[in-house]
Amino acid sequence: MNLLLGAWTIGLIMALLAVGVFISFRVFGMADITVDGSITLGAAVAAVLLVRGINPVLATLCGFLAGMVAGTVTGVMCTRLRINPLLAGILTMTALYSVNLRIMGKSNVSLASARSLGSWCETWGERWFHGSQVPVAGYVAASRDVAMLAAMLIAVSFVSLLLYAFFKTQLGTAMRAAGDSPQMVRALGGSVENYQVIGLALSNGLVALSGALLAQYQGFSDAQMGIGMVVWGLASIIIGEALTGGHSLGLAIVGSIMGSVLFRLVVALVLRWGLNPNDLKLITAVFVLVALVLPRLLQRRKAAATA
Amino acid sequence: MSVMLSLNAIRKTFNPGTANEVRALRGVSLEIEAESFVIVVGSNGSGKSTLLNAVAGSFLLDEGSITIAGQEVTRWPEHRRAKLIGRVFQNPFSGTAPAMSIAENFAVAARRGQPRGLSWALSHRMHAAIRDRVQGLRSGMDDRLDNAIGSLSGGQRQALTLLMATWLAPKLLLLDEHTAALDPKSADKVIELTREVVERQRLTTLMVTHSMQQAVNLGDRLIMMHKGEVFSDVRGAEKKRLRVDDLLARFDAVRRRECLDDSAAELLRKTYV
Ligand SMILES: Nc1ncnc2c1ncn2[C@@H]1O[C@H](COP(=O)(O)OP(=O)(O)O)[C@@H](O)[C@H]1O
Ligand SMILES: [Mg+2]
Repeated sequence: MNLLLGAWTIGLIMALLAVGVFISFRVFGMADITVDGSITLGAAVAAVLLVRGINPVLATLCGFLAGMVAGTVTGVMCTRLRINPLLAGILTMTALYSVNLRIMGKSNVSLASARSLGSWCETWGERWFHGSQVPVAGYVAASRDVAMLAAMLIAVSFVSLLLYAFFKTQLGTAMRAAGDSPQMVRALGGSVENYQVIGLALSNGLVALSGALLAQYQGFSDAQMGIGMVVWGLASIIIGEALTGGHSLGLAIVGSIMGSVLFRLVVALVLRWGLNPNDLKLITAVFVLVALVLPRLLQRRKAAATA
Repeated sequence: MSVMLSLNAIRKTFNPGTANEVRALRGVSLEIEAESFVIVVGSNGSGKSTLLNAVAGSFLLDEGSITIAGQEVTRWPEHRRAKLIGRVFQNPFSGTAPAMSIAENFAVAARRGQPRGLSWALSHRMHAAIRDRVQGLRSGMDDRLDNAIGSLSGGQRQALTLLMATWLAPKLLLLDEHTAALDPKSADKVIELTREVVERQRLTTLMVTHSMQQAVNLGDRLIMMHKGEVFSDVRGAEKKRLRVDDLLARFDAVRRRECLDDSAAELLRKTYV
């Protein structure tokens, strides 16, 4: 039970990463690897501020803003300096590795004794459930974990709704159009370059937000925590698309969230069955590769069959 | 009458200094009066699209200057010039965002050249206005405003692109072979709509066409291009009298002159080299 509860919570937290990757990958068609650095950046900024006793909400928000700055850097490299987007992402990600170490001052920061969303949830959980434990569907769970899950559900729903609303505004609609048909948007007076920068900033902001929440959930921030995260995000999006068939914006966002949670549940289960955690990234990468190639193969099959 | 567009000896060479060097515009000067409907014809590769792209700002000029409605725009980027210009492209895919709905495409078009903020793109009023405008096409698309525009035929998309480009009356409407990719029936429909829109809104229009028939039937001025230059400019009563045969004759004359030039050059080379 605790395993599932944890998987749900991490799945929801990582849903923000998935939604962030959705913006760069699906809206703008860029594989933005800045993500691997910005999730750690969000965690590092939030952790360092929390250790100094800053209000957890404020610290989390600062993590988000730091991510936006990272995304802006990549965006400016792609658009103003005309660097290949993949390379721009790699450069920012690499630079962020040092930046994150500088921010934290060491390779990890523990939040065990700091006031954070984690400790808040502990207090709330005990107040709501009158004790540190609570029965859930016949099992005993830590009330902190249940409170954390509830808090993340609220936070992720709120952020996703905001994002959905943003993409329905004049600016957001033009940004989506810029990803879909840059020529059209230019002809209609939109600066595709500016929209890409805003998109990457928003994307990495959400990824960093996810990192800030993750650090508070697991109780530490670590310089290595971002490795392979962009692929996790891609996997979530792809699962989400399979689940919802998501062609509309709303479905795509909901799908990314569902995909992230489902992915985490599957990971928790296979680890439970004895899969070596070291193999996880390999399996994820292969999964994304297959999911990207399979539709094309099937299409060719179908074309060959009808021809 | 006032001048809406003025091109002053504009030049553009693609890939300069390489084997692929193309001198696409070799010093074009033009003045186009407000509310005139100018047709541009010319053989393939004569620089018609490059001319329109230069006006729209798809690239910056090597030489020369461009003034639209009294504003010198030579150094303005494309998206800034869009405030003054409405465009329809040859490729129906270029003018619309296929994955987005008809209504959302219009919502983007409705802010051409204006700041885009955080108010809703599709207010109820906006939706109703779009329905009104699309209803005018009498093609049943007004019931499908929330469908992806990519699900429509090329002809329907070009018609919508034209309405989008002229939603806010542009100072200048640029049409680049906007019916070339369509079947004859859809092409006729789009041309009919073009005539209607241009007339109703009294738009200053620059339209490239591959169809001699369209060139003769439409517009009040005709410009013929060859190898990056304007070689003929017909207007007024003469344009009205112009027939397809006259057009073909003019093109033949240019080609013959050019053959002559080529062989004359050859002769000279043989003699002196
Ligand atoms: N972006 C570009 N880069 C290189 N060459 C170009 C570009 N655009 C046009 N050209 C070349 O310029 C010449 C004129 O092209 P264009 O204006 O498209 O002719 P058309 O009259 O058929 O529209 C052609 O030789 C074309 O290959
Ligand atoms: Mg052309």
